[in-house]
Amino acid sequence: LISGDLNLDSTLPSKLPPPPVFRSSAAPPPQGSPASRRARDDTMVGLSEGEKHFIRGGIAQDLRADGRRRLQFRALTVETGIIPQANGSARVRMGATEVIASVKAELGKPTILHPDKGKVSIYVDCSPTAAPMFEGRGSEELSAELSVGLQRCLLGGKSGAGAAIDLSSLIVVEGKACWDLYIDGLVVSSDGNLLDALAAAIKVALSDTGIPKVNVSLNNETDGEPEVDISDEEFLQFDTSGVPVIITLTKVGKHYIVDATSEEESQMSSAVSVSVNSHGQICGLTKRGGAGLDPSVIFDMISVAKNVSQRFYTLLESAFAAAEAVADE
Amino acid sequence: MSAAAAAADTYSPAAEAGSKRRERREELRRHLAEDADWPRADGRSLHDCRPAFMQTGPTTAASGSAYAEFGKTKVIVSVFGPRESKKAMLYSDTGRLNCSVSYTTFATGIRGQGLENKEYSGMLHKALEGAVMLHTFPKTTVDVFALVLESGGSDLPIIISCASLALADAGIMMYDLVTSVSVSCLGKNVIIDPTSDEEAWQDGGLMVSYMPARKEITQLTLTGEWTDGKITNAVELCMDACSKLCEILRERLKDPASLASE
Repeated sequence: LISGDLNLDSTLPSKLPPPPVFRSSAAPPPQGSPASRRARDDTMVGLSEGEKHFIRGGIAQDLRADGRRRLQFRALTVETGIIPQANGSARVRMGATEVIASVKAELGKPTILHPDKGKVSIYVDCSPTAAPMFEGRGSEELSAELSVGLQRCLLGGKSGAGAAIDLSSLIVVEGKACWDLYIDGLVVSSDGNLLDALAAAIKVALSDTGIPKVNVSLNNETDGEPEVDISDEEFLQFDTSGVPVIITLTKVGKHYIVDATSEEESQMSSAVSVSVNSHGQICGLTKRGGAGLDPSVIFDMISVAKNVSQRFYTLLESAFAAAEAVADE
Repeated sequence: MSAAAAAADTYSPAAEAGSKRRERREELRRHLAEDADWPRADGRSLHDCRPAFMQTGPTTAASGSAYAEFGKTKVIVSVFGPRESKKAMLYSDTGRLNCSVSYTTFATGIRGQGLENKEYSGMLHKALEGAVMLHTFPKTTVDVFALVLESGGSDLPIIISCASLALADAGIMMYDLVTSVSVSCLGKNVIIDPTSDEEAWQDGGLMVSYMPARKEITQLTLTGEWTDGKITNAVELCMDACSKLCEILRERLKDPASLASE
């Protein structure tokens, strides 16, 4: 809604002769590559020089365009149980960003390599209703980036250590039957900070998830294949204490901000997404944006993200409690 | 492999062979995770990289190309351009970098498994774009095509290093060469330049792409649970290895005729 009046440039017909020719001769891009990259990103958000200056200046002065401080989040609202067909679901709104996560559990067969583990797949879809550029194959790259980012943060190492979801808890009969967990994220409305919002939505959706209780009976008549009886009344709650949150620190100028809007993201030189679990351990990290970073800056960003994550945990918990209270009424 | 050979004379069901193989792997894994000085399957110590063989100019049609061989991992990268961007692309006063990573169907043990690594193209782009002077070729595109001939672990870091050598060979202006190294975390040990077996057992992994002369990290990814101290140590270990790898790249660019491997 807010972005509407800032998107003036995008309303221009695209067939006009490109103005940047004149701009580039008037102000050749300075030495650093960040400047040239910024110019490209702007074509998507469409900000004037004045607006860019305003955003960057605000961040430097610790007072952002929407009145927030650098390490302050937007208002967070959570709804649970919004998709009746799914085993668990949640909608998370952070400012104008809105995402939905759904968790579906299906009985499947474990792989031969890991007969004692269930399977989890995470997939994110960006709907063209969120932004016109997501139409067709336009969202493929972003979807893949978000999916991989979430997988990296939630699934842990190959051996299963440090995973948010304990895969061995999904096993029903070893080597024969297991739960396949399908976690799907959908970006409904996009105004920056998608990865953090999706991770929060998945965490809430998993807390909302009930896995049906199963009764297994092994008999010899069916060739040792177990007979699985799925209960539709009794559900097991999912342990989500280990599910991390993701904090993305976006670096604009010399400073980093949390929960950036898409206008602010267009001004970034780079961003680091750190996933932190409730014990304060780092369990995943992705760097976005091409500009190089000094190692000491990255270590500093990690420790800032760790501090901020504790605040985000309480924020998310109170939003979740509010959602539960609404659901109970 | 030996399990498969044993299965050749006496037939045993696949499941049983699989469990034997798993047991053997578990034992190796335990050693790697717990013993400080246990030599790895290929005889390296924990902080030794595989010998790097790199060469420029394997393909003649490309503006620049490079071939890299680290143990079993074999990668070839070709760079085309700068050439005119596709007509459908919007005007841009900076150049575009188009990266694509593909696997041969026979690159992995199970046919076609390498196709799963779809995110590699995007990650290669992110690792390189901070190093390439995009404003030096406005309106045009540089294509970087990487092909993994054989996957033997640490594929992405090797692709990145090889691609930056190919870009340099093509004469694309860059701020610095980008080299990349990954480490795997097994138990309390951190091992550098893991093979695919070691990657399959890892508790966590960390990959750093680094510009040694500018001392900047262009890409950093991390999986699994890590403490702060461990991250710092692992990143420093990677940066050190990246600097050494960069020396090899520079040698290769100075004197492409000499093919001595290190």
